[in-house]
Amino acid sequence: MREFVLKRSVFMLITFLVVLCLNFILPRVMPGDPITHLMGDVRLPPAVRQSLIARFGMNKPVWEQFLAYLANTFRGDFGVSFSQYPKSVATILLERLPWTLFLLTTSVTLSTLLGIYLGVIGAWRHGSRIDVGIQATGLALWSMPIFWLGMLLLYGLGYVLGLFPMGGATSAVMSYPNTLEFVKDVLWHSTVPILTLTLGSYASNTLIMRGAMLEVLSEDYVLTAEAKGLGQNNVMWRHAGRNAMLPMVTVIALNLAGVVGGAVFTETVFSYPGVGLLIFNAIQAHDYPLLQGAFFVVAVTTIAANFFADLLYARLDPRIKY
Amino acid sequence: MSKANVTRRQRVRSTLQNASAFLKTFRRSKMGVLGLAIIVFFIALALLAGPLAPYPPKLMGAGQPFEVPSAEHWLGTDDVGEDLYSQLLYGTRVSLMVGFVAAFMSTIIGTMVGLISGYFGGKLDEFFMRVIDVLIIIPGIPLMLLLAAYLGPSIWNIIFILVFFGWTTIGRVVRSQTLALRELPFIESARASGAGDMRIMFTDLMPNLVGIIVPQAILSIVGAILGEAGLSFLGLGDPTNQSWGLMLYYAESYGAFLRSAWWWIIPPGLCITLVGIGFTFVGYALNDIFNPRLRRRGA
Repeated sequence: MREFVLKRSVFMLITFLVVLCLNFILPRVMPGDPITHLMGDVRLPPAVRQSLIARFGMNKPVWEQFLAYLANTFRGDFGVSFSQYPKSVATILLERLPWTLFLLTTSVTLSTLLGIYLGVIGAWRHGSRIDVGIQATGLALWSMPIFWLGMLLLYGLGYVLGLFPMGGATSAVMSYPNTLEFVKDVLWHSTVPILTLTLGSYASNTLIMRGAMLEVLSEDYVLTAEAKGLGQNNVMWRHAGRNAMLPMVTVIALNLAGVVGGAVFTETVFSYPGVGLLIFNAIQAHDYPLLQGAFFVVAVTTIAANFFADLLYARLDPRIKY
Repeated sequence: MSKANVTRRQRVRSTLQNASAFLKTFRRSKMGVLGLAIIVFFIALALLAGPLAPYPPKLMGAGQPFEVPSAEHWLGTDDVGEDLYSQLLYGTRVSLMVGFVAAFMSTIIGTMVGLISGYFGGKLDEFFMRVIDVLIIIPGIPLMLLLAAYLGPSIWNIIFILVFFGWTTIGRVVRSQTLALRELPFIESARASGAGDMRIMFTDLMPNLVGIIVPQAILSIVGAILGEAGLSFLGLGDPTNQSWGLMLYYAESYGAFLRSAWWWIIPPGLCITLVGIGFTFVGYALNDIFNPRLRRRGA
């Protein structure tokens, strides 16, 4: 187990270094001039441009640029945003990140629970109408662009029925009478975005949980449990379901990158002020420093979450070998 | 001479027999037939877009702005009075073309990498597998968006980006199948009779990989179509080749919601979903036929 954790740590470190290098290399190999990409925009006053060029060593040799980049990155300095000058990229990202983390954690949790539940039910009654229904819904949602799903839900639940707001994370009020009101407002605004992300990502969880469960159901210990006369729920959840859940940890981790992508689309559709909407706005405004910073932060967060899932997996399954 | 002819005829006959056996099995799969019907329908729409479309797709003022669907404009009009039915037909071309080309190129690259990696093993294999692992963990969409923002909106840039991220699944699958096949006696005997690496890879291994490559390639079309739609929806699509995704971008940007123009929002997304379901069904059906062990495990 220690070996597993060690190997995964090394791998995550390598992935982190790849992201670190990509973030440096991209503006320099893409068509156009790196200074123009990163700090040469007319929206920045000339004095600011000059100080940025000096700070990032842009007129020095590439390896000195790389050292300056490393030092600045670890200090949390990603330059200045073009479109939201004078705010720094780091300040903007810090404002936006909590909203995205909130959407991601809730929807990943919900889609995992939903996937486990439907996967277990589907496998238990495989071939039944319920099972076919679960699989068909899963395949349909899997083939559906998540932003379109979001648009439909927003149109139906928000526009036609008027049950939920048309966008944003909070109402446009200055202050709330108490914390409870604030929480209620946040939940009201986030319900449909979370629903979208959950529906958009539960399909693969369900299909994989169902497969794992089918495999477990053919194990001898499940037969033993049934032969002992244990109740259906007991066998289904405590004996079979629990063991089928193990591979799910890895699956959730591998799906994370996809869910993060889904968040970009969902936030854009619902004007939800997270990093995803920020990425969309940065694209529209040709704000490359902001785009680079957002990519870096999102990638590092995903790598960290993956590593956390690895640790969890190592704890849950002591048999693990790498 | 006559002997060679006989063997060739036999080979042709056995190929035909295989093909007809395959068709028979495929026809029995409801999922596969339904999926194929959907795909054929959309390919026909794409090919016939010219004669079918009542208006040029970008003709402003073909109708009034935001017209409700009518006999004149089957799917209504957009904010500047362009005919949305015509746009949808032409969009079929772009979406399918990008899907096919990107999936084809991803398949070629993935197959090559998987085959080389699985056959030779060692350091090279280790390297390719780590590359794939890294590409799986790094969130693809933000990186794709970053690349697309730098490269600018062109259909070939989009295809390039989709291929860059699209080859990994096929690469993995082909590699693990190659690893398993490599140890089988028929490869051993091919090697013993003096066949070179190239010959073993392409004449002995390749035919045995087709069953695993083809379903994956078809499933990767879904990924490519969804990927293109996603990039276009975020405003990175090619405005001169308007796809279904770009239609949705314009719908979102030019007030389809505020004007309650459901006819602008629903059809493009529905088409993407249907095509996705079509290819997914065919992919799964082919997988069941080519790799029957996977099917039996569940039942």
